Amino acid sequence: MDRETRRRLEHYRRDTAGDVENTLIDEFLDGEMDRSDFLRRGSVFGLSLTTLGAVLAAAGEVPVAFARSTAAKVGGRLRVGCIPPPAHGLDPHTYADTGSLVTGNIAGEMLNRTTDTGKLVPELAVSWKSNPQATVWTFNLRQGVKFQNGQEMTADDVVATFKRLVDPNSGSQALSAYKGVISPAGVQKVDAHTVAFHLDAPTGGFPYLTSSTTYQAIILPANYQLGTFEKTPQCTGAFKLVSYTPGVGATYERFDGWWGGKAPLDGVDLKYFSDDAAVVSALLGNQIDLINEVHVSTGRALFNNPNVQVISAKGATHRLVPMLTDAPPFNDWRVRQAVALTLDRVAIRQRLFSGFASLGNDTPFAPVFASSVALPQRHKDIAKAKQLMAAAGKSSGFSTQLTTYKAFELPALAQIIQSSVKAIGIKMGLRILTSTAYYAGSQLGPPKGWGTTPWLNTPINITDWGGRAIPNVYLTSSLETKGVWNASHYSNKKFDKVAKSYIAAISLKDQRKYAKLCELILQHDTPAIYPYFYYQLGGVSKKVKGYHADPQGQVYLSHVSLA
Amino acid sequence: MAGLLRRRAAARPLPRRTNIARFLLKRFALALVTLFLLSVIVFAAAQLLPGNVGRNVLGPFASQQDVDTYNKLHGLDKPMLSQYWGWISHFVRGDLGKSLQYDVSVGSLLGPALGNSLKLAALAFVLVVPISILGGTIAALRRGRVTDRAITITGLSLTSIPEFVTAIVLIVVFGVALKWLPVNATAPPGAGFFTQIKFLLLPSFALVAVLFGYIARITRASVIEAVDADYTRTAYLKGLGPRQVLGKHVLRNSLLPTIAVVATQTGYLIGGLLVIEKLFNYNGIGQRIYTAAENKDFTLLQSGVLIVGLVYLAATLIADLLYSLLNPRIRFAGAE
Repeated sequence: MDRETRRRLEHYRRDTAGDVENTLIDEFLDGEMDRSDFLRRGSVFGLSLTTLGAVLAAAGEVPVAFARSTAAKVGGRLRVGCIPPPAHGLDPHTYADTGSLVTGNIAGEMLNRTTDTGKLVPELAVSWKSNPQATVWTFNLRQGVKFQNGQEMTADDVVATFKRLVDPNSGSQALSAYKGVISPAGVQKVDAHTVAFHLDAPTGGFPYLTSSTTYQAIILPANYQLGTFEKTPQCTGAFKLVSYTPGVGATYERFDGWWGGKAPLDGVDLKYFSDDAAVVSALLGNQIDLINEVHVSTGRALFNNPNVQVISAKGATHRLVPMLTDAPPFNDWRVRQAVALTLDRVAIRQRLFSGFASLGNDTPFAPVFASSVALPQRHKDIAKAKQLMAAAGKSSGFSTQLTTYKAFELPALAQIIQSSVKAIGIKMGLRILTSTAYYAGSQLGPPKGWGTTPWLNTPINITDWGGRAIPNVYLTSSLETKGVWNASHYSNKKFDKVAKSYIAAISLKDQRKYAKLCELILQHDTPAIYPYFYYQLGGVSKKVKGYHADPQGQVYLSHVSLA
Repeated sequence: MAGLLRRRAAARPLPRRTNIARFLLKRFALALVTLFLLSVIVFAAAQLLPGNVGRNVLGPFASQQDVDTYNKLHGLDKPMLSQYWGWISHFVRGDLGKSLQYDVSVGSLLGPALGNSLKLAALAFVLVVPISILGGTIAALRRGRVTDRAITITGLSLTSIPEFVTAIVLIVVFGVALKWLPVNATAPPGAGFFTQIKFLLLPSFALVAVLFGYIARITRASVIEAVDADYTRTAYLKGLGPRQVLGKHVLRNSLLPTIAVVATQTGYLIGGLLVIEKLFNYNGIGQRIYTAAENKDFTLLQSGVLIVGLVYLAATLIADLLYSLLNPRIRFAGAE
């Protein structure tokens, strides 16, 4: 590192960086984290690329490489196949399905964006910074950003958007990320281009929650009228939504006033599909150029096709197999562990995903999270499972019923679990519902109980969980005692305390310390089985350039071009 | 003598037009009763679908209070009879209501979907009816020969293969491998007549494959019966040529059961093509109804099914009209 760079770094550490940034730099220089973790966490705390480069140089690493942007061919329309279609209207705060998030996010933008490698990059915010306790996060907004209706974006728009997102009475689906983290009163304007988030609880990874991983967090004008998203272009993205037909498709045109310059594509034609075979054949038949989501079981024809490229992004998308911890037969941890030990996870991964998945270890800490600590992998061990069943007084087994719904590979996984637990005497019936029936019924949430909905009230079930950039939502919603989606009805005060400490921790060292404690508790108690975390796969024609798979299944097209 | 004349006058058949009108009026009245029963059944069946509409629309985070308010606002908490009356009384006035799922008018969703289904059904009809009648007639006239066996076995084989298998084979061969025809049936916006036809060809072929064996078999059996009938022998003995006999006597009589079979397939072709619509990604009314059922979108589901029922009954009425025109026995029986 040359003298000038060293001087600038020291100046930054002394005059600009706070405790949080200095701890992060120290952790890296002390070897607590590797280069990619440092870059990822540096992006969380808003360190500039110059600072990141200087720290890397100080550690003797090669500085951040800037990929030379190749000149993209301008023009042409991209034909995107989206499966499935949006289930409801398009107000962003209500997004709860892939079709909606793809449709909205082609036009919309967030404060920041999580890349396929887990790094945060600025979007409508140029920088962000927290106080030392991680209870107040301040975001500086990009200036000169125009909405597609001509209005200029200011802090008022961001405040109005986030107040709606965190309001428990707005019907916001983003509450899965924000409940218990921030309330409407905590979203405050500082000046015309600065917004402060005063959190209900310290959250070290808060910038992830404002990013594209919370796909509802599209910034809209303060005067946005509900129900008008598809009627008037009013986002800030590179493409504006000009027509939308429910269940059929949507059309986008390039937005010439985009703050990022001129997008290479003239426009995008989005077609909805409700059948995997149809969308796969459309790509093979050259009627579309890109598929947002490919499933291994139905998309095998794409893998060896010379005209198609299957791209993947590792993520935390998973299937959860919760077991009711407050009612027989799964109210004994030994029984739950025994069930988990019957699964041959390597074989399951191969059979269902042809290897495109990471093994689960019965905690939500996916390998992709920087804070995850790799505990010994849980493997199939029938002898140990039988011992546990005997110790629980259930050596002769019992009968139970597994509930899930007909989508993706869920029925196949249900059958695998059914046949696996036979080895320890469990006679498992299967109840495969429609998605509507599975999520039907009331779900009041604690302390009133979990209502009547099957997915929160059946002895054992399988539910699909979307990917997140940090595990906070999994911990708070599905595992903490008062979690709204706690399908195991799991309650462990020690775990609650450790999970809170994890979420509040700022340094990676602390996060890993608490993550390990969480993982140990969860592996022992096994309130739920996490069999695998599968990769997000997308299919693209080879003429499509610059497209990356997104761990959450979004389709980000601002820099995509056609050869 | 005068009494005898009066009796003869009374026994004299009514004018042909009056007979047909009476026959159709009777059919129409029956169709109305059928529609009423269909509306009751579809309404009742929709209520049996699992799930709560408010919860489905507002999502898992909505409070129970909000869900209850939504259901109240949309009249979903009212007694069944009141809900039924509210729906059907608006339906008959042409007001199909708003989709609970998409919050747009049901008409704006069902209109284009019905139009698409009709286009596909029309093309399939145009292809399958002449091909099947021709195939069945040739098979009957070549009874027991190689041609007969080839047509019969091909038809049976195609009919016995599930439509999704036929569709996938067509997609793979003509869409993916040869790239002759588009695999998605929805033509781009503003596409001309022939482009639309091109996009609909593959699904139409799949439907032809499904229906050919069925219609051709009925035609074959009817033609064989007509060929063996006394009136055909008489026609030949009168000195008519084979073409005249075939056109005026054989086909005219043998087409009656074929028309009935074709008419019964209308409902399937309009509202029952879910698999075809899904595989060819075609926005038809079948997909709309299916999605509505999945999402408990009552207004869309009920109106969709009833519209398919209406189309089906209209097709049956047209078939009855053709039937009565071709067959005097039906015409006069209808008048009695």
